[in-house]
Amino acid sequence: MPYSELEEPSRADHLWRYTSWKRIHPSGQFHEVPKAAKATLSLRSLEEGGKTDGVTLEVASEEDLERLAVSGSSDISTQFLRAIADGDAMVLRVQRKARLDSPVQLDIECEGDICALHLLVDVGDMAEMELITRISGNASWVGILRQGRFGDGCNFNDVVINQIGDGRILRTDGLYLGRDAQIRCGAIGSGSSRCKSDLRYTMDQSGSSLKVNGSILSAEGMHNDYHVEIFHLAPETYSRLNWHSACAGKSRTIGTGMLRIEEGAKGADAAQLFHNLLLSKDAEADSIPELEVSENDVVGCGHGTANGPVDDEQMFYLSTRGFNEPQARSVLIAAHLNSTLSEMGSTVVHEHLLHSLTNDLSTIM
Amino acid sequence: MSNEPILRIADLHVCIDDTQILKGVSLEIMPGEVHALMGRNGSGKSTLANVLMGHPAYEITGGTIEFLGEDLAEMEPWERARAGVFLSFQYPQAVPGLQVGNFLRKTVQALRGDDSPSAREFRQELNNAMSELDVSKQFLGRYVNDGFSGGEKKRFEILQLLLSKPKLAVLDETDSGLDIDALQTVAKGINASMGSESGCLIITHYQRILDHVNPSHVHIMIDGEFVKSGGPELALAVEEKGYEWLS
Repeated sequence: MPYSELEEPSRADHLWRYTSWKRIHPSGQFHEVPKAAKATLSLRSLEEGGKTDGVTLEVASEEDLERLAVSGSSDISTQFLRAIADGDAMVLRVQRKARLDSPVQLDIECEGDICALHLLVDVGDMAEMELITRISGNASWVGILRQGRFGDGCNFNDVVINQIGDGRILRTDGLYLGRDAQIRCGAIGSGSSRCKSDLRYTMDQSGSSLKVNGSILSAEGMHNDYHVEIFHLAPETYSRLNWHSACAGKSRTIGTGMLRIEEGAKGADAAQLFHNLLLSKDAEADSIPELEVSENDVVGCGHGTANGPVDDEQMFYLSTRGFNEPQARSVLIAAHLNSTLSEMGSTVVHEHLLHSLTNDLSTIM
Repeated sequence: MSNEPILRIADLHVCIDDTQILKGVSLEIMPGEVHALMGRNGSGKSTLANVLMGHPAYEITGGTIEFLGEDLAEMEPWERARAGVFLSFQYPQAVPGLQVGNFLRKTVQALRGDDSPSAREFRQELNNAMSELDVSKQFLGRYVNDGFSGGEKKRFEILQLLLSKPKLAVLDETDSGLDIDALQTVAKGINASMGSESGCLIITHYQRILDHVNPSHVHIMIDGEFVKSGGPELALAVEEKGYEWLS
């Protein structure tokens, strides 16, 4: 259903409880679909001399759109982002059986007043690769829609870093996992004044495994609203969601999760955990994990949430090792974010992510 | 060898949440001395260890603690650590997300400041200490005490002891939960950390670690007080007869 036929979502809706559509729409005028600049994309190997053979970035064809842009047919974010991209889409294609030894970085540079991108992700069967997507730039409003499919038997690590300046960002993912696909997805947020991010993963083929990790840094007056939905539609599917936020200043951080196990997804195994570190008395964090289980024969399905300040006993332990208070605090905040960051990919990816977050961490310490 | 005590505790009274735990403890540790402190659960042994390190939950209501002539009670825990006091915890904290190798490097930098070893020197020092304690290199990639077995935690505390090179080591039940092999390895680490200019206070329930780490003094604590002090034979007597005869 196109955007023009959709109604403005109600704040009573779980998805829009913390960030109204008006607050994340570029102009706040529901019916307006403003003209947007196109984001600049570039692809490179993360390591010097590394190759990107088997990975291409090209303009999406009608066939690509029909095959890959299938998520969120009645979702307002998805349809708005499709509308603002004005029919243009790029496709990141990874060839069947491509095997990349070095991680690949996709840079998405967002400049101008309003900037949008519709990106299709087409990962071939049995491909093996690590992808880091870095969103940066100084656009005042950024919209990114990623839709696509991870092929059968592929082994793919997919990390997205939001490092845009002070602008607002609306980001939506709608990704499908193929049979036996082994996927690790990471979301790192340290930029933007307001972020509304809806990440949806559908496991409609048997045997797939999905690990979603979040490391979110909220400082000053930032508003970070992340919603993660994982749908288990097929048997023997496995998912873990582990979301860590460090909340400083007067920031507001929201993590909502929806774990849905449909009837027929026998042997599904799923869990989600949100953990917020509150670093100032004015910082706020809300985490709401939700479960909908329609299948009786599941291995497990659980959720949990924890909010709290830096642990006093951990502080004491570090102080007995010579760390003064700011040092101990800084080490513990970094450790909190690192425990999810380190799960996002290989050692090379982890080192790169740590390095890219170092400057941002200094803003809250 | 200096004639000045490393640690001098005089008539120490400590309470937590208005409950008096230590009721007049006095102790002097001279350079080169190893003191063992024994007592039942809840007698106040770990309280003494925590107070020496400056745990904020404990309040000193009387008495003094001097470390190398300085008033220890006036110092923050991190200042005590940098001055040369080390506490091996009975239950060390887990810090998920903090890698052991990174933590040890930062610890040595925090403790030694401008005298910190170069990366290469640190690696050498670390390799030596790990080899002393039979710790594998894979250990460095794990998170601090996260998912460690009881024995691994104690071994890791002693690894930190070796790298910290303290003037006073306080070991709170470092031998608890160790099998014979691990006990010998840990004892080897404790002995390696001791020098003629340093002192050690070993808190333990069992005499067996004292077979490997020879104490010069043994103290028995009951209900927040030292009720008897003596040589290593006192530990043997406690092992044989229990604490009843001392009450």
